[in-house]
Amino acid sequence: MLPALVRKTWRDDRLALTGWASGVAAFTAIYTSFYSQFQGAAELKQDALPQGMLDFLGIADMLSPAGYLQATIFSLVGPLLVLMCAITLAARTIARPEEDGGMELMLANPVSRAAFAWQRAVAAGSALTGIAAIPGLLLMIIVPWIGMDIPLSNVAAASAGLVAMVWSFAGVAFLVGAATGKRAAVLGITGGLAVAAYMANAIGGMLDGWHWVRWLSPFHYFIGTDPLHTGWHPAELLTLVLLGAVTTTAGVIVFDRRDIGV
Amino acid sequence: MLTWMPSRKARDDVGMTSDIALLTEDLTKFYGQRRGIEGLSLEVRAGEVVGFLGPNGAGKTTTIRLLLDFLRPTRGHATVLGLDPRRDKAALHRQIGYLPGELVFPGRDKAEDLLRFFAAARGGVAWSQVTEFAERLDLDLSRSVRTMSKGNKQKVGLVQAFMHRPAVLVLDEPTSGLDPLMQQEFLAMVRDASLAGQTVFMSSHVLAEVQQAADRVAIVRDGQLAAVQRVESLGKRAVRAVEIHFDDPVDPAEFSVLPGVSDVVVSGPVLKCTVDGRIDPLIKAAARHEVVDMLSAEPDLEETFLSFYYHGEGAGDASRAGA
Repeated sequence: MLPALVRKTWRDDRLALTGWASGVAAFTAIYTSFYSQFQGAAELKQDALPQGMLDFLGIADMLSPAGYLQATIFSLVGPLLVLMCAITLAARTIARPEEDGGMELMLANPVSRAAFAWQRAVAAGSALTGIAAIPGLLLMIIVPWIGMDIPLSNVAAASAGLVAMVWSFAGVAFLVGAATGKRAAVLGITGGLAVAAYMANAIGGMLDGWHWVRWLSPFHYFIGTDPLHTGWHPAELLTLVLLGAVTTTAGVIVFDRRDIGV
Repeated sequence: MLTWMPSRKARDDVGMTSDIALLTEDLTKFYGQRRGIEGLSLEVRAGEVVGFLGPNGAGKTTTIRLLLDFLRPTRGHATVLGLDPRRDKAALHRQIGYLPGELVFPGRDKAEDLLRFFAAARGGVAWSQVTEFAERLDLDLSRSVRTMSKGNKQKVGLVQAFMHRPAVLVLDEPTSGLDPLMQQEFLAMVRDASLAGQTVFMSSHVLAEVQQAADRVAIVRDGQLAAVQRVESLGKRAVRAVEIHFDDPVDPAEFSVLPGVSDVVVSGPVLKCTVDGRIDPLIKAAARHEVVDMLSAEPDLEETFLSFYYHGEGAGDASRAGA
């Protein structure tokens, strides 16, 4: 049987989880299902935008199935949605209950500080994984259904990358919340880092001499390898997973060492 | 020749775990420069009910949060049931019932679901124990805790603190928000807990409730322990207002020199004064005159309590100047 705290965390988050899940599902389904109708418009869009802008937005080409998925689901808006979900869910693990005072009674139960932090992280992390996996799972159905010509293995690789990248940012958000206990810090710092990481990946791809900054960006490890064309890149995915694991562990350690609700 | 002698430490440890429920030694917490509690040394025996008194900001909640391991001491240490609040947190919290001073419940559950969560998190609590306390406090478990009044939330808080029959109850301002009838029921719950051998450590700034329920009171002022007294001896040591009607006018100087007597006001044959401690010197002095009538107000813990403030160092001058 799962720890009571994990079940309680899911129950308390159920409204938010339902909202995010339906939002991400709707976004994925709508964009992908209109692939054929969008073709004409995509051509226009592609012609209208200068190449530099297309590169910055992470749009290789809008006409091939891989390019279309990359431009719609795996570039700006898709990661933005799941990252927002990740950061808000991570803020609910420690920072929010610490600020509103609800954490005291949860911590008054017979669990160690570290066990409390792990259980909160695992509960939020598993829910988040489910939400971040929705685009991939839907694409597994929609892609063959509407006859997009792209190997499902590549779609799976990109979708796994999305999940792994979300883990890395969720770990950072958890660490900030565990260290500060402040919701504003979680949203501000992690949100800022996400924007910076996105910019670093985009700029690193465009400017000569700045290629190295891409290596600092989780976005690069997720989409910079072009998984929709090239398939699986285990080392890059592992890097993202490790980043998430290390930050989460660090969060548990600092939470175990500090005063609560000061 | 070898003789087996238990070390002094070993004997002390055995004693500690068996009858000391709660022990603090030089317990100190500073938040940066701001003082929470300083140098608190306190011992609460198993089965005792101890009231922890002091005005807002005196350090009561800081002390309680140190005992629960929400805060880590700047200096000194505390043990609960012989265990370390931090190292043994999981084992210890199985035996602690805690009521926070600022009660906020996680989530938007109905009271019943919330209490089922606490029951499961504490390794299973018979549901009949939950409903027993809910009935005593006249609490409707089918309502959502978010929509409850302050008093009803307080009842949910009390039920979760008492429901697993913990060895130690740590209650921060337990009666706040309860109506007088429910306050009486709460005090009855504390007496029952004490009879069952449970230890109760409750903070308050309402003295009447402590007077009724507690064996001893610990008074904190400005982050430091001002006094620890048995409740009945507080009564003996009490400050009382005395009014004596004589047959003839008396000289105030004759009375103001007496030990423990202060605030002497004489208007003709009527003497009014305050007596701190034994009343005997005043009676002996008054007996030299013809006494018509004498009134002594019931010693009130509230006044005794205030006297700790007004006669304490530092606060004394200010209060006398104001009086």
